[in-house]
Amino acid sequence: MSEQVADAPQDSPRDDHEADAGRDPLSMLFQPGAWRLERRLYTRPVYELYATLIALAVTAVIIGLLVIIVGVSPLDAFASLYEGAFGNRESALETLVQATPLILTGLCAAIAFRAGVWNIGGQGQFIAGAIGTWWVYDTFPGLPAPVLFVAMFCGAAVFGAVWATVASVLLVRYGTNEILTTVMLNFVIDSGLSWLLSGPWQANNTPYSQTERMVESAFLPRFFDGSRLHLGFALALVMAVVVHFLVRRTTLGFELRAIGVNKQAASYKGISVGAAVIAVMAISGALAGLAGAGELLGLHHRINFEFGGQAVGFTGIIIALVARLHPAGVIVVAIAFAGLLNGATQMQVGTGIPAALVDVIEGVALVLVLLAAVACRYRLRKIAPHG
Amino acid sequence: MEDFLTYSVILGIFVTTFKIATPLLIAATGELVAESSGILNLSLEGTMTLGAFTGFLVANETGNLWLGLVGAALGGGALGLLMAVMTATVKVNQIVAGLALNILGLGGAFFWYRSVYEEGGAVAFPTVDRFQTATIPLLSDIPAVGEVFFDQHWLTYFGILMVPATFIFLNRTKYGLELRSIGHNPEACDMRGVGIISRQYTAVIYGGVMAGLGGAYLSLAGGNQFFDDIVAGRGWIALAIVIFGNWRASWILGGSLLFGFLEATQLSLQASGVDLPYQLLLALPFLLTIVALVFNRSRSQVPLSLTIPYHRGER
Repeated sequence: MSEQVADAPQDSPRDDHEADAGRDPLSMLFQPGAWRLERRLYTRPVYELYATLIALAVTAVIIGLLVIIVGVSPLDAFASLYEGAFGNRESALETLVQATPLILTGLCAAIAFRAGVWNIGGQGQFIAGAIGTWWVYDTFPGLPAPVLFVAMFCGAAVFGAVWATVASVLLVRYGTNEILTTVMLNFVIDSGLSWLLSGPWQANNTPYSQTERMVESAFLPRFFDGSRLHLGFALALVMAVVVHFLVRRTTLGFELRAIGVNKQAASYKGISVGAAVIAVMAISGALAGLAGAGELLGLHHRINFEFGGQAVGFTGIIIALVARLHPAGVIVVAIAFAGLLNGATQMQVGTGIPAALVDVIEGVALVLVLLAAVACRYRLRKIAPHG
Repeated sequence: MEDFLTYSVILGIFVTTFKIATPLLIAATGELVAESSGILNLSLEGTMTLGAFTGFLVANETGNLWLGLVGAALGGGALGLLMAVMTATVKVNQIVAGLALNILGLGGAFFWYRSVYEEGGAVAFPTVDRFQTATIPLLSDIPAVGEVFFDQHWLTYFGILMVPATFIFLNRTKYGLELRSIGHNPEACDMRGVGIISRQYTAVIYGGVMAGLGGAYLSLAGGNQFFDDIVAGRGWIALAIVIFGNWRASWILGGSLLFGFLEATQLSLQASGVDLPYQLLLALPFLLTIVALVFNRSRSQVPLSLTIPYHRGER
């Protein structure tokens, strides 16, 4: 209710005190109570955007200082980071390649967090998706190309969804903390994949834990010669639109936003919280599963023990939070983070700064964005010294 | 299978149980105190990793393992302080703040390790002369019992000692009881003039310090080097143990020893070449954590305001 009232312009509460306060700014400033931090009744969305941008700028300053401590000029470091990320057509396209799974895992986290369901299992669901893709590929070898692709992506989505549903059923049925179960399931599926790769799915005549290479007709088509950018990128963009539509324009979207704000109120309104939680977790897991399919069919064409080594599931969580859970923001932040990952290699070669700097950048950026998101809900206001 | 059930193997399992339980015990008792004040610190995994690194760094640079422990405590405490600022003062959503600091701790440790020890793109994998077990005279001569209970690292004794210490602190001291009251009903505490924020800072920083020490056990006592995956999920298991232990110190001891025992059994099964896919054994502690969380659904001791930030004058 109060949000409606506050929809009025909130920047000009011209009360009587303000005239007094203008007289002697300096003494005002040092008088106790002259400035007060108070909560805005309504925060315009654009303020959140500004706050995020300021937080990212401060991140750049902090990382610059860190780079100076390591003994490199921050300008050199950032220049070579940018050069490696977006410096030419090739590297820019490669950045989009790396952004592809991150967009999907970012959406995976964003939609679940919107509903207040803390799915930390994007990484495991990503691997489940790759397993599902391979299972379809392995089980139905005779399918014609278009049907095979649809079937493989469906397999990925279903496996990812099922792996997420394990956690959501335990949550709904037994009240088991979903943060812990999804994290534990990440470790479990790592072992499961390792077993598959060294047992039933291991390629013949090789000591390595890996599957056979897929036949070329099962490769996702690529957009340009000389670049690895594949159809998965377009799929990721489409899924971002779908998620946006789902959250904003459907009944389920309304329900998931409602339970994200207040589960109890939502259930009094007649929303079946349990069903909504299970639905949103399944969608969330399916998105991560699609990311696994895209990586397998578009890039690697086989599963080996390094699959998932990039930890795209965890990076997706950071991306979703930095993007403040907006699908469009997820695309932008995922491309930016992919640029960091892509550019970091060049930075390491060029300046000797360890590529692990990217991990620090992600952590610092996330912490500052979270602090900024709170900060923009407050404002400093002058008030009368005696009032 | 017969080879497996020998005296020395079974004895070895019990000895290893305590070694594996130590970092869990230290981190989980610290987290118990933090959660008692109403703040859920999800960043244990990252905090333990950072502590394992800062402890290793200081020990390696100074050649003194005890200074290494101080370094680990400082590293863990620093992340704890950040967590306290974000949750007690700024009141960011505790789950999100914990995840953020988890990532910052992991990333900080990875980057710092490489910027100190990486030469030309390769890490030299330095090692330290790790802590030897502290053999307690006479008692350690008792057959079997001596080896299991009185020939362990100092940090293991410290971890076990923290169980009664944490119990007494939380249940028998004024400060500890006030802390728990804050965790249950901050409004009432505020009215009584009990400083909420300062106590939450103390509790969360203490939790960070303990997680750092738990991490240092891995790099300075259990092992003698640092590597990226050194904590390998133990931070998350420690968090699960607090829930599984229903926020009671004694059950946390039981939970830690249970996980230690399962892991130790798994390791020696693997070593003795029993014909089981070893991946199943690797997954076992995590599967059992889930099972344990499902079956131990009594939440009677949960701090009632856990994860709910306190704003004075708001309801």
